[in-house]
Amino acid sequence: MESSFNSYQSLKKWKEEQIIKYPNDTNALNEFHDVTMKAVFTIASEQLKIERSPSWRFAWFTMGSSGRKEQGFLSDQDHGLIFEPGDEEAEAYFLQLGEEISRGLHEAGYPYCEGKVISSNPLWCKPLSKWKRQIQAWMKEESLETIRNLHIFYDSRVLVGKEVYIAELKSCIHQNIQKCPHLLTRMLETSMHIKKSVGPFGQLLTEEKGEHQGELDLKNAAFIPYVNAVRILAAKEGLSETSTIDRMGKLKKMKCYEEEMGKYKSNFAALLKWRLQSYRQSDTYDDTHYLQLKSLLESERNELKKILKDGKKLQRFVIRAIEKGEV
Amino acid sequence: MEATFLMNSLWVMLGAILVIFMLGGFIMLEAGSTRMKNAGHIAGKTIFTFGLSSLVFWAVGFGFIFGSNANFLVGLTNFFYSGAELDGMGLSSSVFFVFQMAFAGIAITIALGGFAERAKLSVYLIFTVLFSAIVYPVVAHWIWGGGWLAEHGKQDFAGSTVVHLTGAMAALAATILLKPRIGKFNKDGSANNIYGHNQVYTALGVLILWVGWFGFNAGSTLTVEDGFFGFVALNTNLAAGAGAVAALIISWVVMGRSDVPTMLNGALAGLVAITASCAFVDTWAAVVIGFVAGILVFYSVRFFEKRRIDDPIFALSVHGAAGVWGTISTGFFATPELAAVGKPGLFYGGGFEQLGVQFLGVAVSGLYAFAVSFIILAAAKKVLGGLRVSEEEEIMGLDLSEHGSYGYPEVFMAEENKRLSS
Repeated sequence: MESSFNSYQSLKKWKEEQIIKYPNDTNALNEFHDVTMKAVFTIASEQLKIERSPSWRFAWFTMGSSGRKEQGFLSDQDHGLIFEPGDEEAEAYFLQLGEEISRGLHEAGYPYCEGKVISSNPLWCKPLSKWKRQIQAWMKEESLETIRNLHIFYDSRVLVGKEVYIAELKSCIHQNIQKCPHLLTRMLETSMHIKKSVGPFGQLLTEEKGEHQGELDLKNAAFIPYVNAVRILAAKEGLSETSTIDRMGKLKKMKCYEEEMGKYKSNFAALLKWRLQSYRQSDTYDDTHYLQLKSLLESERNELKKILKDGKKLQRFVIRAIEKGEV
Repeated sequence: MEATFLMNSLWVMLGAILVIFMLGGFIMLEAGSTRMKNAGHIAGKTIFTFGLSSLVFWAVGFGFIFGSNANFLVGLTNFFYSGAELDGMGLSSSVFFVFQMAFAGIAITIALGGFAERAKLSVYLIFTVLFSAIVYPVVAHWIWGGGWLAEHGKQDFAGSTVVHLTGAMAALAATILLKPRIGKFNKDGSANNIYGHNQVYTALGVLILWVGWFGFNAGSTLTVEDGFFGFVALNTNLAAGAGAVAALIISWVVMGRSDVPTMLNGALAGLVAITASCAFVDTWAAVVIGFVAGILVFYSVRFFEKRRIDDPIFALSVHGAAGVWGTISTGFFATPELAAVGKPGLFYGGGFEQLGVQFLGVAVSGLYAFAVSFIILAAAKKVLGGLRVSEEEEIMGLDLSEHGSYGYPEVFMAEENKRLSS
């Protein structure tokens, strides 16, 4: 299939025709996104005027919702490149490739990432040796920014190239956590803010103003608390899975998390389902983060409320697990 | 000269100064609650319209309110007031004039709040003259100048109705005729937040108003006798505090967050509400009145927004809704000992009589102020070919479109000018 596209535009057209075939299956939808993004990579490689030396090795990886296999119908781009060797020629090539991939993804319908987590950004496009130093430096610096970068990096998953690069970098993080559990505390401290979504009388708090007035900010109020909490446990236990559901599944098999994960895994699955259901053809990327409450039944509203409150409980559970080492 | 006469004069003069200084509060409040590109205009027009309304008040306003030979609407003497001592005053008549002139200035300032960020400067000018001549003086005459509502025993100590409701009803007429600012509402009816540019200004504005209110309410005793002004000031402060607390609570309960503009509106609503009742109620009642006002203002803001009425600085809710509540509140809470005007309220065995008088006063005064303001503005719309600046001018901001200079030049001017002026 991949070779049948010679332009981003034709790929975009194909993507728009095909994507409606996945109305309520997040897994299948994400496999479809993978196929599309890999096709972008192929076109980008062909478009570049300079050739890639056969001796160069690399990994092109995605992060964010794509890394976690949690993309909805519309999704922005978060991706990076790791390569070897670290000479100037290779560096120049991969930065250009990164530029081309980012442009290609944008043209194929994946808007640019606001935080510039893209392969054209030298911060996210480095030879392996520099990546290792960068990860070490992030862990050492422990600032809000560098810990956030670690959060982002931790969801990375290789789409094209050598998977072992990501595994190697993640094992640096795991080793560091073993030696210095304080890093987990920092990861926790920098991801605690949850957008308030249930009022003191149990009412759902929706957007007060703007185009999404009366809608619930699903991304910030619901997804992010679960994603962040589970990522921290995954880092603690050194899991290699990137999707939140898979991470929860793996954690559930461990005795100390069995009960909690049993409770919360279905919550997250329900959130994924709602997001797909609430999608309308006319939506922009920003629109897909909001849930219209009008379309929900009373029972669904109550379920939603429970999920939102559970997000808070899960966070408290993780705080106890990390700070007091109770688990 | 009698010492009391002098002390009364001094006290009321201090009150007048405090009330005039409230304009500083309005400048900060209104400029802070709107965008930078209109800040210079807002500050400037507030000073200008006070100057203009003072002249109108001297020429006709004072005579219409307090003159003798009155007909149903207005009195007919003391035009172009000479400063002569009037009969039956316990203080200098000129001081009384200045104090009253300050009140008229506050009323027009409240009214013009509803015009914010979109009306032409010429509309401000015309409306200031006509409002100060034929809207405010009629209501003030009815209630304070011995008119028919005064005869009914209508209680409005310092002007919840006379000043605040009258101003707010004019603001309502203006917001309806002017229509919402560009970008305030979406096609589907949902509202956007047009953020004020400086919350610190807004808060400081509220504080200046709060302090000024001691002149407004306590000064309205017009006498230092028995030190009663202290009690009025006490009630005033309690209501403001209760309003701020109530508004913060309701904001937290309903929206799940402690909204600063809501809390500030709550403090002002408490002040507006206690303005009618500050001399007639016990301290606990002042707390209740302020608290209710704080809740009321929160829902009032949502009510107007749902109806797609764009009220940039919440004049309708803070001065209108709270003004109505404050006036009616004396019908419930006025005590037999304190009700120097009218009768005690419902909760003190006064039955429904005073409550009825208060309702009637609010309804008639509000209706009159709204109707006449509406007619003035509708006529001005015809004559001036619209009340609003053009779309282009609204987007460039009134600082530039109406005055040709900026309140914040460094932010808006071209690079070259920026370099020279900074």
